[in-house]
Amino acid sequence: MTTSTLQLLKCGVRFDPPALVITYKDWKANKLRRRTMPLRNFNKNSNIESTIKDLKENPRHNRFVQLLSMAQFHRLLSIIKDKLSGLSLEASIARNNDMDTVRADEDLNKVDSETLVRKKLQMDSTFEKNKKQPGDPDFQYNVEVDFEDVVGKVESSGWDSGEDSDPDF
Amino acid sequence: MAQVAQPDYDKPDDSGEVRVKVICLGDSAVGKSKLVERFLMDGYKPQQLSTFALTLFNHKTEIDGQKVSVDFWDTAGQERFNNMHPSYYHQAHACILAFDTTRKITYKNMPNWLKELREYRPEIPCLCAANKIDVDPSVTKKSFNFAKKHNMPFYFVSASDGTNVVKLFRDAIKAAVKYKSNPTDIMDEIMQELENFELETGKDKAGGDTEDKDQAAAADENDKASS
Repeated sequence: MTTSTLQLLKCGVRFDPPALVITYKDWKANKLRRRTMPLRNFNKNSNIESTIKDLKENPRHNRFVQLLSMAQFHRLLSIIKDKLSGLSLEASIARNNDMDTVRADEDLNKVDSETLVRKKLQMDSTFEKNKKQPGDPDFQYNVEVDFEDVVGKVESSGWDSGEDSDPDF
Repeated sequence: MAQVAQPDYDKPDDSGEVRVKVICLGDSAVGKSKLVERFLMDGYKPQQLSTFALTLFNHKTEIDGQKVSVDFWDTAGQERFNNMHPSYYHQAHACILAFDTTRKITYKNMPNWLKELREYRPEIPCLCAANKIDVDPSVTKKSFNFAKKHNMPFYFVSASDGTNVVKLFRDAIKAAVKYKSNPTDIMDEIMQELENFELETGKDKAGGDTEDKDQAAAADENDKASS
């Protein structure tokens, strides 16, 4: 990603006709601006991933849409889709909040693929934040840390107890 | 992505390389693909198996002077349908079983994965990976008894910052090579005997390829039946 002189301040949607709307600061010109990006042909059956891909490849919009995180992008488009499918805004926001929340006790093998994609995007943001990669000053290919030398693990994870714990087989 | 046919890991190879198959298991979003990606780095070039929705990654390395060609198998999301296709387990020499230290449910599902693995591969080495320790490093002070209980080596890892990923995979490759040279699964012993038998008796037979395929199919059946 190229370094941008644009800073995203707000993002939102317009329902009719569907569009993404962002407010950003242009530091080079020192101006506050708003940009509306119409989503042509977007309907309740549109594929969110390919819509994002199209916008990212669109030379008129790409420097603006790259300000949005993938998680934000998915959320905004999903809210528009919900609206086009007749869902109320409140219901849609509740549904999207749910998809954007990772719960320690939720079995992701059993959720629909849209939900899985959304929860993975939330986890990806943590992954990217802590990521060390070639080029980083402290990057090493092989990082070995021996956690076993901590004499006697005093603390139990608490994950081995309970009625649902590992049965013998 | 390149489309390839499923390799036969029992087929002797004239390249002087040992061919092994290492599979990754665990719940959705525990970071299986990210772990493989972190280990292979630039060499991360997935190949899609033509017959099944599975992804594999080839990696060449050397263990104690022996050339090794490893295929890492990734589930490609198939874990969402509860059962992996039997071909995923077929001929595997080692398994990396991973959970997410930030999500308890993924730890609680470990016995199900191990149970399914043991139905197909009762004896192959299985290594346990506790991933995403970068999110809350204090988790490494805590004890997780699953691995010890099932006599598996245990690794605290992070695909994000790289902690212990290379060690985990190198140990898995070593375990796979060791297992292949001295298999303890009865089916593997039978396969090896068949192979030797064929080498002794079938020297001037042509078209060994189709026979290999039949054997592999039979082994699949027997693998399941014997469990």
